[in-house]
Amino acid sequence: MNEETSVPFPEFWNWVQALPLSEYIGFTWWFPFLESLHVLGVGLVVGSILMVDLRLLGKTALSVPASRMTREMIRWTWGAFVLAIITGTGMFMTRAAAYIENPAFQIKLALLLLAGVNMAWFQFRTLRGVEEWDTAPAPPLAAQVAGAASLLLWIGVIFAGRWVGHII
Amino acid sequence: MQENVAAWLSGSPAQETAVYLLGNVPGLPPIAQSLHILGIAVVMSSTVMVHLRFLGLAAPSQNVSEMIGRLMPWTWWALLTNAITGLLFVVARPNRYFFNPVFGWKFMCLVPAVTIALIIYRMSKREPGYWEQTAARLLSARVMAAVSLVLWVGVVLGGRWIAYTDYLYFLYE
Repeated sequence: MNEETSVPFPEFWNWVQALPLSEYIGFTWWFPFLESLHVLGVGLVVGSILMVDLRLLGKTALSVPASRMTREMIRWTWGAFVLAIITGTGMFMTRAAAYIENPAFQIKLALLLLAGVNMAWFQFRTLRGVEEWDTAPAPPLAAQVAGAASLLLWIGVIFAGRWVGHII
Repeated sequence: MQENVAAWLSGSPAQETAVYLLGNVPGLPPIAQSLHILGIAVVMSSTVMVHLRFLGLAAPSQNVSEMIGRLMPWTWWALLTNAITGLLFVVARPNRYFFNPVFGWKFMCLVPAVTIALIIYRMSKREPGYWEQTAARLLSARVMAAVSLVLWVGVVLGGRWIAYTDYLYFLYE
């Protein structure tokens, strides 16, 4: 990593990737092991979110109330998300300074952040009045927008995530 | 057998086309791989969710035969997508895959997993509520679900390991 880098805390990322744990992961079968678990976690995160998004768009599962679909899927979403974060952090550590500069990785983080904001907004604002449209075939515009945004953001996360490995 | 398939594909017009596309269409390798991962996500939210429902681990309020009818057709589309995106790479570098035992292991997981999915889907389609009508049927669905979950994990992990093990079998170009 050169001196005039635009990434903040360059020393920190260099320190992270010099950790014994980072080097251990990077030079052993742990990296592909973590990466394969990451694909599994990502598949479950995006899969469970996909079901909720399509319900919010009024496209599928109209016999299941929207609030119940959200509640039943979110446990799997969070569980798988924790798996993806742990395995993702493990891989990130091995070449932290390079990943943090990788445009695909930066885009992925930005999309994740937006997906989180969208999810929080939906959870704390839109879902408040859910009683009125819980079983309605067409959820209100705000819920449909949240579903569509989430769908696009998570597809973007997958594309950006897969692109990370092609740039590094 | 796999040597013959690899030899037959090597140098064929199909291989030349796949190599050309992967090398010349901007971004095609990561795009195809991303679609492949999206396909995995769809399998996770369809067949895998049905299995988890059978085992009492997901969607407790949703009716299982309604879930089968609603979700499992998504699996067939995902499998088609993944067959196309996967074949692109296999046809482009057949030796890399057909001489790699991990590729074989992936399919030894995939074929029975898809067979189980088809059995669950067909019986439920023919007779709605089929799997819940007797205790024996429910038990067999649960056993199939548990086995299939392990198989799908094997498919995903195996798929990712193909690329990491092929240097051990460098029988390709």
